[in-house]
Amino acid sequence: MRRILTIEDDAATAREIISELHANGFEVDWVSTAREGLLRAVGSVYDLITLDRMLPDLDGLAVVTTMRQVGVQTPVLMISALSDVDERVRGLRAGGDDYLTKPFAPDEMSARIEVLLRRRQTAAPNITLLRVHDLELDLISRVGRRRGIDLDLQPTEFKLLEVMMRNSGQVLTRMMLFEAVWDFHFDPGTNLVNVHMSRLRKKIDPAGLPALIRTVRGSGYVLEAPV
Amino acid sequence: MHANPHPWRSTTTRLLAIYGVFFSAWAIVLLSLIYWETSQYLTEETEHLLGERAEYFASIDPGRLRERLESTYEFDLLHLNAYGLFNAKGEPVAGNIHAIPAGLEPDGHGRVYRERFNGSETPASTRILAIRLRNGYELVLARNAALIDRLHQLISRAIAWGLSLTVFPGLLGGLVLSIRPRRRIRSLQAASDRIVTGDLHQRLPLSGRGDELDNLASVVNRMLDKVERLMFEVKNVCDNLAHDLRTPLTHLRAQLYRLQQQTAAEDIRAATIDQAVAETDDLLARFAALLRISELKDEHRRAGFKRLDLIEVLHQVYELYEPLAEEKSISFKRFFPNGSLQIQGDRHLLIEAFSNLVGNAIKFTPVSGEVAIQVLIESAGARVDVTDNGPGIAPDQREAIFQRFFRGDQSRSTPGFGLGLSIVEAILRLHDFQIQVGNPPIGACLTVLCWPAPLAYDSAGIVAQEQTVGLALS
Repeated sequence: MRRILTIEDDAATAREIISELHANGFEVDWVSTAREGLLRAVGSVYDLITLDRMLPDLDGLAVVTTMRQVGVQTPVLMISALSDVDERVRGLRAGGDDYLTKPFAPDEMSARIEVLLRRRQTAAPNITLLRVHDLELDLISRVGRRRGIDLDLQPTEFKLLEVMMRNSGQVLTRMMLFEAVWDFHFDPGTNLVNVHMSRLRKKIDPAGLPALIRTVRGSGYVLEAPV
Repeated sequence: MHANPHPWRSTTTRLLAIYGVFFSAWAIVLLSLIYWETSQYLTEETEHLLGERAEYFASIDPGRLRERLESTYEFDLLHLNAYGLFNAKGEPVAGNIHAIPAGLEPDGHGRVYRERFNGSETPASTRILAIRLRNGYELVLARNAALIDRLHQLISRAIAWGLSLTVFPGLLGGLVLSIRPRRRIRSLQAASDRIVTGDLHQRLPLSGRGDELDNLASVVNRMLDKVERLMFEVKNVCDNLAHDLRTPLTHLRAQLYRLQQQTAAEDIRAATIDQAVAETDDLLARFAALLRISELKDEHRRAGFKRLDLIEVLHQVYELYEPLAEEKSISFKRFFPNGSLQIQGDRHLLIEAFSNLVGNAIKFTPVSGEVAIQVLIESAGARVDVTDNGPGIAPDQREAIFQRFFRGDQSRSTPGFGLGLSIVEAILRLHDFQIQVGNPPIGACLTVLCWPAPLAYDSAGIVAQEQTVGLALS
């Protein structure tokens, strides 16, 4: 069973996190102080840590920095009420792997956690060719192919497809896509990502072929081999 | 915003001018009175003298008259007097008046003539009187009244000098004295302009002299203190409310989401639940935007400003929204100068601001409409116009669109919640940029003035773009 450590001082938020994680089949340990969190993170093995940025005894940034200094490489999802881009950058620079702003939708959190866990398993940064079912993406020549036929992809579409294929089989929320593809961190409204996605879908899922990109109701999109 | 106070309109200048006019009028009245009294007296004296002489000569035996006349006038050393004796036919018999002046009746009443007197060059006022003697001869006696002329001249000159010495220094003094008050008014204006544009920390400057202006300014300042405190309280309440409501809303959303996950898409309740989730997301986004605006008002953000290329930012925004425009069959154009436009700013925030403007333009433009982003390099800096041919913004709403929660009449049917432009405004304010609502014949035009001037404009170009030219949009 996959284990997650939740360092969060607000009981209500903690309950929210725990129930969502339980629903997704995780075992959760909850601590409410940075000190205790650090001890647990160093002392036992976790698949992932969710870390509140503002803790009563210590700044979340200090926690993650300390963890990385002592050699703990567990992925860290930082959760913070500070929504600013600067804060986000600071959080990632300190050693966090992703940054989620409070309040957040639980499905957004679990989608991010899944991606972080997967990234760890398939840590092969040197791949030059991504393949899902009959879809190929050559990262060197920057060409996409479906059933061996070249796809005419714009740079944004290529980037979007690359992100989807790197995380194939995983639900990616619109916010995650907006961050990963464009590196923008504001709320553009739901429609914007949808429009870019429908453009991409027209190209890679033409009529007659089984669709690879699937809309996940209420959450986002997933790219995977058809069943 | 305000007309600069005209020097002639200042209170000091006006007071001095009015005072000058009154003073001059009084001086004129006084001098005129003196003139009138004096000339009256002199005239009477002359009349009297002439009358006495006429009476005297009339009493003298006509045979001895010539002799007596000559001896009398021999001693008129000042040549103030003249006489003429004429026979019954009007021919001159004696004296230095050789013709009877026209219209002179021998009735013993003096009349005023302008004559050249006793060889003087210029004609002067002369009082002349004629009498009929017993032998039928006519005696004409004249007396120079130039003294009255002189008096007249003297007093006129006095008035002229007096006026010029009062009025001109008065006006000049007024202008000079009004310089300081006008300078103070200008600084008061500048301060209130800054307050009007939203800088509520500003206070009206006090001169420390404790005069009426200072009193007024300190009253206004006290008022501003109060207004600022109230605004701060309202803002705090707003922010706290947004903050406090966000947590229960998040829980609500989480539960709805769980319900959504448990409901199969075929279930008839699924659509309602989807709707509820979407509405909750909307509410959450609203609160997030509210808090974002408060965050952006914090000036510390400027510390993170870096050098960036505005044109590149705009290209990114263009590419981000291009599919959305295409979906609505909107012709979406960009008119950017070649090259880079370096400014100091926050890339993420500027992208957010311009995305908002472009997103709005696309949202409010009907299907098959037109939207354009245009960059113009001006001497003062760069300006970015975002234009569309949608319904436009009514003139009376142009100020209000930047207020939180404002939604135009036309936009009620379009999704959104009226916080976008407040965020844009907050971001631009942070950059010291200005946003203006233009007045195009059709549609809307929002102009961002990226002033002060950019750090550098490299027209040599780093990237050749497919769309260039500074074509004017029509």
